[in-house]
Amino acid sequence: MKKGGLILLLGLLLGTAGFSSFYLLGTAHCRTMMHEPQPELAWLKKEFGLSDAEFARISALHEAYMPQCAERCRVTEQQNRKLKELLAKDATITPEIQNLLTERAKNRAQCEAEMLKHFQEVSRAMPPEQGRRYLAWVQEQTVLRGQAMENRHKMGGGGHMMDMMDAPHM
Amino acid sequence: MTPNQNPDSDERLRKVLREWVVDAPLPPRFQEQVWKRIARAEAPSHSLFWTGLARLVEVVLPRPKVAFSYVAALLVLGVTAGSVTAQIKSSQLDATLRARYVQAVDPYRADSPQP
Repeated sequence: MKKGGLILLLGLLLGTAGFSSFYLLGTAHCRTMMHEPQPELAWLKKEFGLSDAEFARISALHEAYMPQCAERCRVTEQQNRKLKELLAKDATITPEIQNLLTERAKNRAQCEAEMLKHFQEVSRAMPPEQGRRYLAWVQEQTVLRGQAMENRHKMGGGGHMMDMMDAPHM
Repeated sequence: MTPNQNPDSDERLRKVLREWVVDAPLPPRFQEQVWKRIARAEAPSHSLFWTGLARLVEVVLPRPKVAFSYVAALLVLGVTAGSVTAQIKSSQLDATLRARYVQAVDPYRADSPQP
């Protein structure tokens, strides 16, 4: 019984050791990335096979872009708050609301233009092939794709009306 | 034909048996003992499993070929399970970081849920 028990235990121990070592080995790269100061940039480096110099350049571009982006977000938030206040006061579209909607659309357009500019700069900092791949991917993933609005009207023309009809009556 | 199989003596034996009356008292708690034995006989599966397992570990497992196969199988199973789990975990982390990058650069996607 003693010998059999030892063999039983040895098998279980080896199985556990095999599992643990292959799991740790297989996730080592991801765990290292998660401990980076900016894991999402570490992912970008891995995904697009960037050299250290390219990564440093792209990190600098990213750092420069983020404050601009934050400023746009702050303006948008202000405009949204203001619009909410105006809509609470008036049930009709006043010239002030109209102006604010125009300003908000301009701000959004500016934001998207800055985003696109940043993506193009990042893609240029990459090797040409990877740059093209990055640009195609990032445009597909971000709001630049503009898919939500188009899809809404692609539903045979009736999707929007159906949504409205399904909505509960006020 | 042996003497024991003689029809006459058989008849006599039957007669004796018919006249035989058992007047010896039953041992104390006879019925209880009988029920206990029935209960023991009816619940053998649980103990049978453990007995079988113990026999397997005690007798079968120490055989060199069986022992080697058992250890090798568990090792292969562990390694395979570890690799597959690591692959799944890596894919999940990869998707999370990809979504985080998109959310970082696109303010309009900042509130969208991660995959």
